[in-house]
Amino acid sequence: MADSPYLTMSNTKISFTHLHLASGYSFKYGTALPQHLVERAAENGATALALTDRDGMAGAIRFAQSCESNGIAPILGVDVPFLQRKYRVTIFAQPGSLDALYRLITSINFSEEKLLTFETLRASSQYSSHLILMHGAYSQLGAAINARRYKEAFSIFSATAPFFADQVIESTSHLRSGIGPLSTIYASKMLGFARDHNISAVLTNAVRMRDRRDGPVADVLDAARKLVPLHHKHVERSNSEAYLKSPAEMAWVADEIARSAGERNGNRLLADTEDLAQKLLLSARTDIGLGGIHLPRVADLSELRRRSSAGLSKYTGELSVIAAKRLEEELATVTTLGFEPYFLTVADVADMARAKGIRVAARGSGAGSLICYLLGISGVEPIAQGLLMERFCSVLRAELPDIDIDVESDRRLEIYDALFARYGFKEKQYKPGDDSGSATVAMVETYRARHAIRDVGAALGIAPMEIDLIAKSMPHIRARNIAGALENLPELKSLKLDTPILKMAINLAARLDGLPRHLSMHPCAVVLSDSHLLNYAPLEINASGYPMLQFDKDDVEAIGLLKLDILGVRMQSAISYALEEIKRLDGTEVDIDAIPLNDSATFDLIKSTRTLGVFQIESPGQRELIGKFAPQTFTDLIIDISLFRPGPVKSDMITPFLNGRQGFKSRALIHPDLHEVLRETEGVVVFHEQVIRIISIMGGITLAEGDERRRQMGAPDGQVEVRDWFYPAAIALGYDRDVIDEVWEILRSFASFGFCKAHAAAFALPTYQSAWLKAHHTAPFIAGLLTHDPGMYPKRLILDDARQWGIEIAPIDINKSERNYRAERTDSDARIPYTAPNLISTGEPLILPDARGFAIRIGLSDIQGINESEIEQIISARPYIDLADFVARSGASRPICEALILVGAFDNLHSLGEGALNHRDLLLHLQDLYTLRSNSKRTTSSNQMLLGLTPPPLTSSGLPDLTLAERVRHEIDLTGMDISRHMLDFYGEFLNHVGAIRSSELIRQRTGTSVLVAGVKVALQMPPIRSGKRVIFLTLDDGYGCNDITFFEDIQQSRGTLLFNSSLFLVRGEIRRTGPRGLSLRATDAWELAESYEKWRNLRVYEHG
Amino acid sequence: MFESNLDPAPTPVPGARVLAPEGEPLEFIYKGRRFHVHAVVSRWRESGGWWNRIDDGRLKKEPLEDLIFDDGGKAIWRVEAAPEGALTTFEIELDEITGRWQIRPTSR
Repeated sequence: MADSPYLTMSNTKISFTHLHLASGYSFKYGTALPQHLVERAAENGATALALTDRDGMAGAIRFAQSCESNGIAPILGVDVPFLQRKYRVTIFAQPGSLDALYRLITSINFSEEKLLTFETLRASSQYSSHLILMHGAYSQLGAAINARRYKEAFSIFSATAPFFADQVIESTSHLRSGIGPLSTIYASKMLGFARDHNISAVLTNAVRMRDRRDGPVADVLDAARKLVPLHHKHVERSNSEAYLKSPAEMAWVADEIARSAGERNGNRLLADTEDLAQKLLLSARTDIGLGGIHLPRVADLSELRRRSSAGLSKYTGELSVIAAKRLEEELATVTTLGFEPYFLTVADVADMARAKGIRVAARGSGAGSLICYLLGISGVEPIAQGLLMERFCSVLRAELPDIDIDVESDRRLEIYDALFARYGFKEKQYKPGDDSGSATVAMVETYRARHAIRDVGAALGIAPMEIDLIAKSMPHIRARNIAGALENLPELKSLKLDTPILKMAINLAARLDGLPRHLSMHPCAVVLSDSHLLNYAPLEINASGYPMLQFDKDDVEAIGLLKLDILGVRMQSAISYALEEIKRLDGTEVDIDAIPLNDSATFDLIKSTRTLGVFQIESPGQRELIGKFAPQTFTDLIIDISLFRPGPVKSDMITPFLNGRQGFKSRALIHPDLHEVLRETEGVVVFHEQVIRIISIMGGITLAEGDERRRQMGAPDGQVEVRDWFYPAAIALGYDRDVIDEVWEILRSFASFGFCKAHAAAFALPTYQSAWLKAHHTAPFIAGLLTHDPGMYPKRLILDDARQWGIEIAPIDINKSERNYRAERTDSDARIPYTAPNLISTGEPLILPDARGFAIRIGLSDIQGINESEIEQIISARPYIDLADFVARSGASRPICEALILVGAFDNLHSLGEGALNHRDLLLHLQDLYTLRSNSKRTTSSNQMLLGLTPPPLTSSGLPDLTLAERVRHEIDLTGMDISRHMLDFYGEFLNHVGAIRSSELIRQRTGTSVLVAGVKVALQMPPIRSGKRVIFLTLDDGYGCNDITFFEDIQQSRGTLLFNSSLFLVRGEIRRTGPRGLSLRATDAWELAESYEKWRNLRVYEHG
Repeated sequence: MFESNLDPAPTPVPGARVLAPEGEPLEFIYKGRRFHVHAVVSRWRESGGWWNRIDDGRLKKEPLEDLIFDDGGKAIWRVEAAPEGALTTFEIELDEITGRWQIRPTSR
């Protein structure tokens, strides 16, 4: 890069503060992140820097944090449209008035026009009167000056003057040619006007780049923002001067402007700029609020003690003494930290949800707190489970602990509404002075590979097909890794990536990496603070109509706002639905939160590995693990959930644990002191809580200190520090060097993979509850699964699972089906065979659910293309006496009527089973009905006429009915499920002939046996594997359960394409038994089922004529 | 209007000869005659349009990360200049008592 001509200027030290700076948080405008700009300013010797992003302040907290760590004093402002979209002004906060700037921005955001108007100013003058207004190159005032309409310019200045604490004029030259904005002439006219009217003028560089070389990035952002290809008409820059210039470079510009305005040099301009900067310096702490805390106000703090003590009645006997003592300790911690309002508020939110009948469960380390349990925030009893408060919250770590709340997914927004009603705005119509203590939190969407390459490609006019191909094959990676990713993607080899334009596109995409694209609403976080939330952050109304902070979750944490994650969990909806169905069917109210945690039928179901639909343990990998593990207790479930994560899988924690559990290898006891801690996990460290306890026991420190040491071990440096402390501490307590070595090795290798037991326990509760429901109320539970679809499997597989437990699948019936799935009792007993596995031969007998006598009625909402109002009208106009009646009154569209006929919704009404009429007759009848309707429409309108006319008779046409196979195909097409039969039924004869084995019978096979299995593809997964090699898991459903088949690399080569592109399979594989019910099937060959079937049939025809 | 390309291209381009010891043009040769710069009327910088020059070969074929974009950076001076020697300095004198004008050449 060439030296600028002005670098040879003065050598004397000049200070210059940039007052106009757009970072990447000026979305699709600024090319650099705040931290990079701050670093550059520091390198340039600056002592202060302003961030004045366009239209918002989403970068303010990150900016303040970078300023703090770089020794730069932050200045904050915002660059907003004023009066018209094309005119912009900059507004600064003064020390002590940042809240006023936030409120003014909020006012603008809440206004209809989303720009600053005199109306907004009049309504918000109590805020603007603390702020400083700067009229710059793109202001209306600037435009008037440039047109030599000086009177008009002065009247604008006078009109805004009363609303602000002060006003300045901004002089900016990007050394553009001509006399337009950002030219030296224009800047000097601004300066001249200021001098003539005795207005203070300052110099800025209206920065949007860090380096001169960032020009192309700015161009791409301009094109992406305006959704146009790159062209001189569309890009905003005509040179590369809008970068963060050094003080010397700015001094040169100051001279240039000043001389053009007739001054001898730029000294006065520079000095006035520094004067203004000095007045605007904010404190990252007292002004911006880093490290602050703003909990909701609670009238009576002692309520926490009162409410949690009342909860102690859950304990009896010796435990009640322990619990009371622990409560005192926890209360002491909470009181010391002043976190009472935090606990009370979260409890309040949980209560609010329960009052609405919405299921609530705490997630995360909060389950380690007895207070959370006693207040009803968490449902897991922490003492018996050995969960620690210290992992969650301690005096040593004076930061707000994190509680996440899981709620029914379909009712999550009801909680938002209730919560905002209590803590948020009192009125829907926002006024600038309102009090509010609650809002949603923003999430910053940044450029990643796909978006970056799409925007760059569009800007450069690369053929959309080409861009699409690159973008689609781009995994979700950082944009800066694109070049590497492209090299590893064989499908892109045919693209000539070596052409200059593609190289350029990739380079530019990498330079967009990490730049913010826009703000969206965080999917689950809300903030709860005292009622002055509007003083701590600017707000906007997001796309869903909720008030949203312009700060993201890290920002709100940095300024001490309580963030609560309210997560929608479909399983909670499914559980809730199942409970309603039980009540409707049996009139029984099941208190699922009070069921005993040692129910043998529940654990039998889990051990059978037939856990489809059970929370957390339904995946092929989990079913394989529970097959080996055979969990017997609630604690086992916690362990199981903790083990099944990438960390433990990669570091192979599972094998030593299973070896211990199955008694293959005797447990090695390291030291008697650790016996209690490690007993439940066979001597393997699985939980954070165990690490904390070990450190605490052998280091002779408290649990709270133990957790600090554990956290410290997360970083390599910290690990060294902990080791240097741990050895002497343990030696001082008399532990042998060998023991310390061994323990340290365990801590070191497993600490980072350990899992918070409280977290796993919180997950294990819905796991257990859903398993309990499946074991005891199979049909209602499966109806809940089908309605809320919480899991990973397609509905047709869940239906098939239902069939295997003896549940009849009742087709859609126009007079019976509701919107959702319903459990029904059937009078016909056991028409459906019970095909769940007979496990007698596999050791200990398991008692498995038998749901014969139940049916699940498919709901109307699964008909493809049906809408909510159609469903409502169909249900409300019931009952229907025949198809003609339905067509006349239901309001359903013709395609929906056809679909309903095809999936059998009229079979019962028209007694199709009896043979007089069939589906084709109904379809013809429907056609007649519509012909009649269109004829009658010519004279009068609508259905009334139709009612008066006699519908055409419904008679048999003599055409044959649809075949069973046709019906199943229609079911799949129209509902995505094979309702009347399993798809594989049609291959039954062939599969018997070739000796394929049902999935339910596989467990009887010995290790090493080679078998044939068949089924419909349910899932294809490539999970993380310890060796790093790619392994494909194929899950097949054959109507008797699932086969999970492993394809290693040897066979992936020849059968990979088949696996990805087909849906029906015949697979040859080798059995390996891995535990009491553990079984793995390694594929040795695979075929497309229909093809094999055709070959077989042709052969048979040939053989038998 | 005269141009001097100060951004060195990957290979030096033969151009006009300009004397600019501190980055600011003082003298230049134009059509064989030596010109002296008397005043800078204005100066500006231009760049952009790199996307129109993607295939012109100035793009370095080095590692992707170090691609140089031919952003066409230019610094431009608009100056008043006259051939060396052709310019003469005069003193113009007004006698305020008599109202008579006098002109006489003088050395610079």
